[in-house]
Amino acid sequence: MAGKLILAGAAVVAIYLISVPLIFLLGTAFRGPADFLPFEPGSRWTLDNLWDVYLDPALYRSILPNTAIFAAGSVTITFVIAFTLAWLVERTDLPFRSAIFTAILFPLLVPTVVLAIAWTLLCAPNAGWVNVAIRGLFGVQGPGPINIFTMPGLIICQGIASTPFVFLLLCAALRTMNPSLEEASNTSGASPIVTFFKITLPVLRPGILAPLILATLLTLEQFDLPLIIGFPARVNVFTTRLFFDLNAEDQLPKYGSAAAVALLFLVIAILLLALYNYMVRRAERYVTMTGKGYRPTRLKLGRWRAPALVFVGAYLTFAAVLPALVLLWTSLTGGVTWSEATLSWTAYEKLTSDPRFWKAVVNTFIVAACSAGIATLVGALISWQILRTRFIGRNLLDFISFLSIGIPSVIAGFAVMLLYLSLPIGVYGTIWILVLAYSYRIAVTTRLSRAALMQIHAELEEASSISGAGWLDTIRRIVLPLMTPALLSSFLLLFMVGFREFTIPMMLQSDDNWVLSVVMWRLQNDRQTGEAAAVGTLIVLFVIPIIFLMRRYLLAQQNND
Amino acid sequence: MSKIRASSKVEASRSMTISRRAALLGGAASVLATTTGRQAVAQTALSPQLAELYERAKPEGEVSIWGPSATTIGWIPDIFAERFRDIKVSFVGSEQAAARFITESRANRHTADLWFYSLGATLDIQSRGLLQKHDWASLGAKPEGIFFGGEVVAMNNHVSTPIFSRSLVKDDDVPRQYEALLDPRWKDNMVASSFLLPRMAAYLAIEWGLQRTQKWMRALIDDNRTMITTAPVSDLLFSGERRLAISESVGAARRMNNAGRNVGYRLMEIVPCTQFTLAVTKNTPHPNAARFLAAWLMTSEAKTLFSERAGLSDVRTDPNSPLSREIQAARLKPVFEDVNTMDQRADYYRQLSAIAKG
Repeated sequence: MAGKLILAGAAVVAIYLISVPLIFLLGTAFRGPADFLPFEPGSRWTLDNLWDVYLDPALYRSILPNTAIFAAGSVTITFVIAFTLAWLVERTDLPFRSAIFTAILFPLLVPTVVLAIAWTLLCAPNAGWVNVAIRGLFGVQGPGPINIFTMPGLIICQGIASTPFVFLLLCAALRTMNPSLEEASNTSGASPIVTFFKITLPVLRPGILAPLILATLLTLEQFDLPLIIGFPARVNVFTTRLFFDLNAEDQLPKYGSAAAVALLFLVIAILLLALYNYMVRRAERYVTMTGKGYRPTRLKLGRWRAPALVFVGAYLTFAAVLPALVLLWTSLTGGVTWSEATLSWTAYEKLTSDPRFWKAVVNTFIVAACSAGIATLVGALISWQILRTRFIGRNLLDFISFLSIGIPSVIAGFAVMLLYLSLPIGVYGTIWILVLAYSYRIAVTTRLSRAALMQIHAELEEASSISGAGWLDTIRRIVLPLMTPALLSSFLLLFMVGFREFTIPMMLQSDDNWVLSVVMWRLQNDRQTGEAAAVGTLIVLFVIPIIFLMRRYLLAQQNND
Repeated sequence: MSKIRASSKVEASRSMTISRRAALLGGAASVLATTTGRQAVAQTALSPQLAELYERAKPEGEVSIWGPSATTIGWIPDIFAERFRDIKVSFVGSEQAAARFITESRANRHTADLWFYSLGATLDIQSRGLLQKHDWASLGAKPEGIFFGGEVVAMNNHVSTPIFSRSLVKDDDVPRQYEALLDPRWKDNMVASSFLLPRMAAYLAIEWGLQRTQKWMRALIDDNRTMITTAPVSDLLFSGERRLAISESVGAARRMNNAGRNVGYRLMEIVPCTQFTLAVTKNTPHPNAARFLAAWLMTSEAKTLFSERAGLSDVRTDPNSPLSREIQAARLKPVFEDVNTMDQRADYYRQLSAIAKG
């Protein structure tokens, strides 16, 4: 009975958290005209938003082709790098694995805007540090040779920026995979490459498809890098339109038009979900964790250790070390050229002497941790219902929870604002409205948990039940420990996304609920570049120990098991 | 409507009536200001009118001002914390502020006391009847600066100019005419904000006509490869990636200099002046504090601080402001918008924005 109540509660919470922004999104796409907010008297039902967006010739002439090239290129780069890194960290004896795991996540900690600015400082054609160094080395004149403001530049930067997200998801899948199948293949004389393609990849299919789908959708929804790197190169993608609709400067945001753009993301999400369900329809194929014990073994890299470290080093240099140096440099100098620079701690001193900064630190931790906790817990319970029960509405629940990924933050923020202005429960203007607003991102957890659950045979739970354990005991003592890597990955991911979330807190800000990203934006907006960079540096310093400790805890737990 | 008018008259007469207590307080304040010597903020004594408003505002204890960004209004709370400790000022600085204000008002929740925004963006609020009439004339506003029958008052201007880092470009090298920006020597060396460039160009179109402006803007972007960006141009300017940011403002240069940079600005032959305005919200939750803050913002002390901290100067109604004098001395032509020309300017903006956004 308790189990049923918990599951029903999770379903209700999930539907509540997602349906608010989802219904708002669907409704808003069909409300107009543009100079009225969608709920206002004077607005009406209309198809104008759809016509404006989808009958624009530029959409088919340049925007959609650009978007397709951008998404395909970025996701490919992301996957190649992320899979290699995840495999090296989880399945081989690569040295310094915990430190490398933590460093790989760096781009997730720093707001994408900061990464984009750092990469621009490094690779801009006239004054980029890398270009200046190359020109100095080879005595070349003029701009270049590298120009970040191009489609290839955009693809590479986006590919690298998305890598930690996919890496984290793939790590969870690789960590929970029983290596006995690979060992059997190797023992039977198959080469490592044959084993990889015939055993590893097929067994990991749910664990790979889930991140692939999520990465594709998230890349399509990205607008930070396309705006900062693509837009100056006149490369407009689909989200460029979304950005300009929502930041209409001298006018009200065009929520209707933005929602019409976002509808495409929902359609793509639905198609990808259908594809995913089709490809993993026989879940029992992917079971690698049964009642039989196993101990994960690591492949010895041998002479491949040096090339592996070079690969990891190259990634970390471009994705973490150089941006971190730029961030630190900017915080200490205010971002001036080498010749003008004077190092000073002033930005840090000003920042840390302001009580509002410390309040924002506390708020950020509370909001990021609570929202990540809620989404992870609810998502895991929903995944269990979908895979382990015959509940009639489970497919609908799966569908709704997945759609959360197609809802832009600003739409979610606006919907939550509307709801809690009407509900007299006193959360408006507090940090709790941010917790509720952030928690709609359940798609990440459901995909991750589902992939992890598919690798766990139901016989383990059946054995527990036959031995007299109740549902709660079975979940607590059998399922949760086995799903810990996936749940921890999910929590970490959402925690970091929450830590740097910018759009929703800007929308719902009050004096009592400032978070670090809002502080950073205000400083940047106020041209206090040094202090804004100091906030970015401190965000990294705050979160890195948490990741490191969680990773150590996870490894210690695995060793105990 | 008649009720609003009637109440406005009552408020106006209230604010014009100076009590003996207020006069004494004002006098005391001026004595205090002269005896305390150096202060963190260059202060002027409170007028009796302001002193009375301050006394009335004290029981309310707080007031909230909303605007487009922290840059424009974020300095006010710090000043109040120093000067008027009994009133805590909070602010919301967001481009989504109008949507949020309308949404809160529809839900009958009122947290904004004052509204500070460009004239164009204020229209969305004014047309919904969310602002109250106020006796701005009693606070020193000139008739040409009062819009919509007293609901909105002209405060100051965002004056568009090219800006440059003095460590990379000499003052004399910077063009004085917009057409001179098309010189090939500036190719690959200029940057402009995707929002500010068409906004500035819309003012040029008022003078030049739309066709000429469109042609100029295309040449600027396509031939001279001016980088159009949504990112902060300051990063591109100080790193040396670009040498001239062409649609920034005097205010941006001042703010950067306040932050320790060495930035110059060049007033061109036409000076686009976007109008920023102030208004008291209709359902202000702190009416007395709102009146006090509004009155203080209209003082010359506040206008000076606005100019120093936010970089917004009043060149429309104050011919004696340093920037007004600079424009007059160089015989440049300022272009303003008002309620009669703003629709045309907005239409030009939309058309020019399409070019900037590709």
